[in-house]
Amino acid sequence: MRSTPGAGSRPSRRQVLRASLIGGIAVYVAPLGSQAFASLFEQRLLTRPDWGATDGVLKYRIDGTSKVIGAKVFARDLRARDMPHWPQQQSHALVLRTTRADRIYAGFDLSLLGDDLKPDRVVTAADLTRDGLAFPDFYGEDTLLPEGKTPAYLGQAVAILVFHDFVRFRFAKEKLQFNDAVIRYGASTGPLQRDPWGTSRFVRVGGNTPYDDDVFSCLKDGPISPGYEKHEPVWPAPARDGELGARGMYHATAIGDELAQPPAEWVVLKRRYATQSGDTAALEPDNANGWYDSDKQELHLVVPTQSPQEVAKGAATMLQSSRIGLKRLFLYPCFTVGYGAKDSCSMPYYGLIAAVYGGSRPVRLANDRFEQFQAGLKRHQLSMDYTVAIERRTGLLQSLRAGIVANGGGRKNVSDLLIKVGATSLGSAYYFPKTDVTATAIASRAVDAGSARGYGALETMTATELMMDDIAGELGLDPIEFRLRNVLKTGMRNTQGAIPTGVLRAEAVLEKARAHALWSGRGARKQAFDADHPGKYYGVGFGCIQWRFGNGAEASLAKVELAPDGRIMVSNSGAEIGTGLSSGQAVACVRWLGRPADAVELAVTDWSDLPVETSGDPRAMSQADQDRLAENPRWSPAYASASSASNSSYYLSHTTREAARIVYVHGLLPAALAIWTRDAPAGSRVPSIEDARWRDGSLTVEGLEPLPLVRLVREAHARGLVVGAAVHGFNRWRWAEADFVVNNVAVHAPVDALSVRYGEGGDVSKPGALQGRYHVLDRQAVIFPPTQNYHAMVGYCTAAGTLAELVVDAASGKVTLLSHHTILDCGTMLVPDLVSGQIQGGTATGIGLALHEHMPLYEDGPGNGTWNFNRYHLPRGSDVAAWTQTAEILQPLSESEPPKGMAEATVIPIMSAIVNGIAHAIGHRFRTLPVTPDQILAVLG
Amino acid sequence: MSLPTRPLTVTIDGRQRGPIDVPDGLMMIDLLHEILDLTGSRLGCGIGICHACVVIWDRDDGTSEEVRTCITGAGFFDGKRIRTIEGIARHNDKGEILSLSPVQQAFLDQFSFQCGYCTPGFVMAATVLIERLARTPVPRGQVEATVAAALEAHICRCTGYVRYYQAVRDVILATPGLTRDVG
Repeated sequence: MRSTPGAGSRPSRRQVLRASLIGGIAVYVAPLGSQAFASLFEQRLLTRPDWGATDGVLKYRIDGTSKVIGAKVFARDLRARDMPHWPQQQSHALVLRTTRADRIYAGFDLSLLGDDLKPDRVVTAADLTRDGLAFPDFYGEDTLLPEGKTPAYLGQAVAILVFHDFVRFRFAKEKLQFNDAVIRYGASTGPLQRDPWGTSRFVRVGGNTPYDDDVFSCLKDGPISPGYEKHEPVWPAPARDGELGARGMYHATAIGDELAQPPAEWVVLKRRYATQSGDTAALEPDNANGWYDSDKQELHLVVPTQSPQEVAKGAATMLQSSRIGLKRLFLYPCFTVGYGAKDSCSMPYYGLIAAVYGGSRPVRLANDRFEQFQAGLKRHQLSMDYTVAIERRTGLLQSLRAGIVANGGGRKNVSDLLIKVGATSLGSAYYFPKTDVTATAIASRAVDAGSARGYGALETMTATELMMDDIAGELGLDPIEFRLRNVLKTGMRNTQGAIPTGVLRAEAVLEKARAHALWSGRGARKQAFDADHPGKYYGVGFGCIQWRFGNGAEASLAKVELAPDGRIMVSNSGAEIGTGLSSGQAVACVRWLGRPADAVELAVTDWSDLPVETSGDPRAMSQADQDRLAENPRWSPAYASASSASNSSYYLSHTTREAARIVYVHGLLPAALAIWTRDAPAGSRVPSIEDARWRDGSLTVEGLEPLPLVRLVREAHARGLVVGAAVHGFNRWRWAEADFVVNNVAVHAPVDALSVRYGEGGDVSKPGALQGRYHVLDRQAVIFPPTQNYHAMVGYCTAAGTLAELVVDAASGKVTLLSHHTILDCGTMLVPDLVSGQIQGGTATGIGLALHEHMPLYEDGPGNGTWNFNRYHLPRGSDVAAWTQTAEILQPLSESEPPKGMAEATVIPIMSAIVNGIAHAIGHRFRTLPVTPDQILAVLG
Repeated sequence: MSLPTRPLTVTIDGRQRGPIDVPDGLMMIDLLHEILDLTGSRLGCGIGICHACVVIWDRDDGTSEEVRTCITGAGFFDGKRIRTIEGIARHNDKGEILSLSPVQQAFLDQFSFQCGYCTPGFVMAATVLIERLARTPVPRGQVEATVAAALEAHICRCTGYVRYYQAVRDVILATPGLTRDVG
């Protein structure tokens, strides 16, 4: 028997599931772990935080127990039978994909399945065309490739096969997989030739010193964009006093001319670096499980995603513009892991299509690992040509020209953004007086490339670090000494002409590395080791980066609410991707509320308590447009960011902290003051509440009675003070700030939208007081960061450095890591155990990229459907120096220093540390990653 | 449909399942996931490389070993006793957890995992190791190497393995009878 949400739903579910409207379609979202989802499942996936009040340490991940017992926490674990209101019988689907991209696609042949294994429904491009169903614009054309066209890329989807029972699905798939006869091809056309997905040029000519105004820069003037001719970029003609592009090219040309005929005291090096295409290898392969109820015109979709807001909007938009009737969309985002590849990922939309054509049965579309290699988003392969000049006498960098080409594969995805990040991150931790960086993301027949840990910066920063060692060798300088001479210091301008926010601490990282025993004693140890171990070569290498965290258009929403019994509940728009966001958000409350939240809901998309409107592109809009739009008190340049390993601790926690602060200042503090002054003798001085501090879960000041949170909360409720706050924040390398009036008190806060909930015992005439609902406050004034700020491209930075100690075996070419040591600046840590876990995990990924992970781009690569972990080596325990690695965290500058994004920062420096260490070991500088035993053997002879 | 089937009876987490008619050639992971609703043994690679899908096979001689369910046919388990991740913690009649196993508790205490997808596999491998050491203790000086060897086959993408290894080492060192002094 089946029941549907429209009728017969349990009251608890109706209470917690609330709709938002997207294009006229009611969208309900119940993230895994949320109250709404729990009402479906009647189980708790997040446990109450176990908090050591005296040492201020979170004892467990709050999602830990459910994960360690193998509970159903991933979308992949869920079946129709787990969804109380779905039909219980689960159907299964698979996607047929092309394995050639050089000839016409001419249909498919399923005759090998016979009658027994014939699919119950085959969905093709013809179905989608008939029903007007197509990808959201972001993903491009040909959701399913129609016959008669050349596939744009290897692994392009042509059909979805739906089976109404698992066994037939399973055995049909076995017959179809790896079978080249299934897809038919016609005439040879060669691969499609297309314009690049994007090309940008960033030119900077600095002033007389690193601190002076620029002559020309991206921040001051803007990036340069080309036209295209025969798919090649065509740059504006140089002109000193022309338009932006012409002026930029004038300076670019001058930089090129100077490098071609350098001053006598310059040393000029030309180097080419290359990094590999890779798989993010998130262990949960992409999947979706959907049920389209054609009677009620409702779609339910269980998805793993780093960006639930994007999926909600995309799915609603996709269906609204089709001829498929849809009134309501129910989205169930789950815990997941993606390392970027479950952000801007098309799988949820294929799942949607499978569900729509499932004949009102739930349909599960779940990649196996071969399919995940074939269709999952890939790391961009990058080639980087650097020409760099250094003044020999001083060892100071003078000029850098770089040409970067990233292979974006078959669909654009984020390639155009990613190359900008790569191009503007290559300056990393160093000051360059002049730079001319061109970055192109090419379209190719490779599998789609998308977001992957490091987002283009990993590749360019690694190249820069290899170059720094290369230059130091040319100059005869110690590599760390050379870096210190050129390190970007606080107040200096980066390659975009921007001055990064806050104190830059790469210099501190470099000093610590230079003093570390691994570095200072490396020469003597090498001599001794090599003498004692014939056929083996010892080496120590170093890498350092200054990592930007954030993307220049970050936004998030958070709500913090105090229940009358003192429980703290947090909601946040971010999704849990394994980094511990749920635990981090709980702990983000500690500063203002004295202890972590008791309950955390993530991936929340229902923000009816805080209506925020957005329009336009926050990265491209003009200042005039922003000023005009900002007159709407509900408007913000962006709504909510996807979750990434580096944005959760800073950007997503910011809104949680600010919401907690509003509750503290306008709820708990006045409540405390009321209690402290109620029984005080007449004439007593009013305590200085700004000095109030939490001690062991109670608030105290000036020796007054410590007040436990629950007592304060009761008082706040009774007095109708603020007991809940929902905020929206927007950051373009600076937080938007706005003025509000809360309870007749003027508030200036680094948020651009605010609503508050008052205690129910207060003045019933107050808006929202009666119903316990949120009162949306119109902002009185707002300061959005200027649109030009986006061109800074790098605003907030984390410094990280790694020393790697290794041995190269001359007989096998194998590199063995003996130990490694990472030095990291991450501000104030939210959960130290999670930070160290991120360092350990990040360095392991870096080791994989330096030494192991690789796959060809084209016909022999993953698009052919035969790749798996037998051919793609992920680092094992024996590869990562599990017992001997160490790390140290720079002390935060003060207790008020916010946490910094750091997870991706730890992936990168070990890559160059290893490659530079190999150079120390055998005297050869590799410039193509990964460095394989075969390459080493070729060098050693 | 005319796919041949065979009856299968298997004891899982102390409970006899079956006889179930299972199609020839169906992998054990599919039986666990699609028919028995035990989804904690995770599909990682499907070809026996990553070990996220392992269960523990309890042999009649009192020994136990990991078996990769993604490459082992369901029929192999006919008449056998296995443990899955769902059966490692102690539960009451209502299915509520009474206590985690020492390995699970150590993984939780030491923040050993991040996304948690591979965690069931590591729990099973460490459980098998500890049971083996209870029968055949190792010298204390060999504990780290023993842990590394026992967990080497398991792939984790998030953590860099460090906290898994440390947690298992600490359980071994804290559990009487798993190690011995040399000599």
